[in-house]
Amino acid sequence: MGPPLRYPPMIRFINASVTYPGGVHALKNVTLEIPDGQMMVIVGLSGAGKSTLIRAINGLVPLSDGDVTIDDVSVRSAKPKELREIRSRIGMIFQTFNLVNRTTVLNNVLMGRLHDAGTLRSLLAWYKPEDVEIAMQALERVGIVEKAYVRASNLSGGQQQRVGIARALAQEPTIILADEPVASLDPPTSHVVMRDLQRINRELNMTTVINLHFLDLAKVYGERIIGMRAGELVYDGTGDQADENVFRDIYGRSLTADDMLGEAAAAG
Amino acid sequence: MNAATAPRTARPRRPPRSVIGPLALLVFAAITWWAASEDFGLNFDVPRLFTNLTRGAGILAEFWPPDFSVLPRTVDPLLETIQMAIIASAIGCAVALPVAFLASRVTSPNLVAYIVDRSVLSVVRSLPDVLYALIFVAALSIGPLPGILALILFNISVVAKLLSETVDGVDQGPIEAARATGANRLLTVRWAVLPQVLPNYVAYSLYAFELNIRASAVLGIVGAGGIGNLINETRRFFQYDKLMVVVIEILILVIIVEWISIWLRRKLV
Repeated sequence: MGPPLRYPPMIRFINASVTYPGGVHALKNVTLEIPDGQMMVIVGLSGAGKSTLIRAINGLVPLSDGDVTIDDVSVRSAKPKELREIRSRIGMIFQTFNLVNRTTVLNNVLMGRLHDAGTLRSLLAWYKPEDVEIAMQALERVGIVEKAYVRASNLSGGQQQRVGIARALAQEPTIILADEPVASLDPPTSHVVMRDLQRINRELNMTTVINLHFLDLAKVYGERIIGMRAGELVYDGTGDQADENVFRDIYGRSLTADDMLGEAAAAG
Repeated sequence: MNAATAPRTARPRRPPRSVIGPLALLVFAAITWWAASEDFGLNFDVPRLFTNLTRGAGILAEFWPPDFSVLPRTVDPLLETIQMAIIASAIGCAVALPVAFLASRVTSPNLVAYIVDRSVLSVVRSLPDVLYALIFVAALSIGPLPGILALILFNISVVAKLLSETVDGVDQGPIEAARATGANRLLTVRWAVLPQVLPNYVAYSLYAFELNIRASAVLGIVGAGGIGNLINETRRFFQYDKLMVVVIEILILVIIVEWISIWLRRKLV
C-alpha cells in the first residue's frame, strides 16, 4: 500500500494509540512510515484523529500505547530535555496561527530560536545577531520581511499564517507539521499559503505533514494522501489515486460542495 | 411568508424557574437584619446616626478653616510617603511576577508548586497591611522600614492574585506554539505568556502604588512612617484645622497619582 519510499523512513508510527482521559480513542493502533522529504496530507472528518496524529509526532499529545520514532529515536520514552531537542527539529503551523498578537512579528519568529538562543539571553531579549538574521531569512522566505517590526495583530490572516510558517522555519527544522493551516483563510489566500508550504518542501527537502479537510486541496498539494476515520488509517496512496470513491470511503458518506475549497480559486 | 400561518415545529417547553436566586436574596436580607437588629446585632439605627452626626457638628467645625501654617512641616512626611510607596511597589511588584506565574495552573511547573504558592498567598492576604505594620514596628521599632515591609507584603499578595487570575485566562495557542518549538518552560512563559499579560501587570502595579499612597495615611498612625505620623500627632493634640491640611494634601496627592496612572495605562495598553 502507498507509493514506493524515496528515502529511508524518518517518521515512524509503530502500533501507536492515543486514548484521551475520558476514554476517547483518538488514535487506534496506527502503523505508518513517512520518508524524508515527503509532502503528506492527512484527510478525514473532524474528530477522525488528524490533529492527534500530527501532535503525536512532536509529543504534544502523549501516546498511550505503541511508539513514534523520529530518525529511530523514540518520542514516547524521551526525557523532557530530549523531547525538547526532538521538538526543536520539528516546526509546527496551526489553524489559528497561535501568534502572540501584542508583540512584533520578529519576536514571534524569534520564538523559533528559543531552543538554541540561551535561556538568559532569551529572557532579556538580547538575541545574538545570527539568531535575528535566521529569523529575518525565515521572514524573507515567506515574503514578509518588511513586516518584521509590525505588531502581529496588525497583519491580515494570510500574513499571520506566513509569520507562523516563518516561526517554524526559524527553528531550522527537518520536519514541518501543519494542523489545518488554511482552515481560517479565504480560498485565494489558502492557495498562497499552500504554495508556500509546497515551495519550502521542495526547496529545502523538508518532510511536511499537513492536515486538510478540503479534498481538492489535498489532491493538488499532497504527494501522498492518508485517510483517517475514527482514529484508524483507512487510506494510504498518491493524490492521483485518490478519486471520489476513495474520499467517499474515508468520509463514510457522499461528498458535497462543502468538502471542496472551489475550482475558481484554484487558478488564483 | 406569513409568520402567523407558517408551519411551526414544536417549541421546547420552558424549564421551571430556579428558586436559588430569590432564596439567596432572602437569606442575604435575613443576615443583614440579624447584624443590624436591636436584640441580636449592633442595634444599627439610621435616624440615630443623623442625630449623632449633628452632635458631632461642633468638632467637624473645628476642621475649618484649615491652618496652613503647618504646611512646611508636611513636606518631609509627604515625601517619605511617596518614597515608601515607590520602594514598596518596585520590590513588591517585582516579586509578585514570578509568584503570579506559580499561582496559575496555566504556567505553574507542577501541582505542588501551585498549591504551595497559592496557600502562602492566601495566608499572607488574610491579614491587613496595618496589622503587618504593627508587627514590623514591634520587631524593628518605628520608622519607614516597617511600613515599607508591610506594603511589600501587601503588594505581592494583591498583584500576584490579580495577575495569576489574568494568566489563567490567556490565549493558550501561543503556549502550544512555544512548546512545539522546543522552548523550555521559563522561556515559554517569557515569550508566550508575559507579552499577553504585560499591560495588565503594569495596570495592577500602578493600582498597588495608588493603594500604597493611601495606606501610608493609616500606617503612620501605628508608627510605620509617612504622612500618617503627622495625622496621629495633630489628632492627639486636637489640632483639627492642621489635620485638615494633611487630609487635603493626601486627597490631592491621590488624585495626581491616579491621573498619572490613568495616563500611563492608556500609553501602555
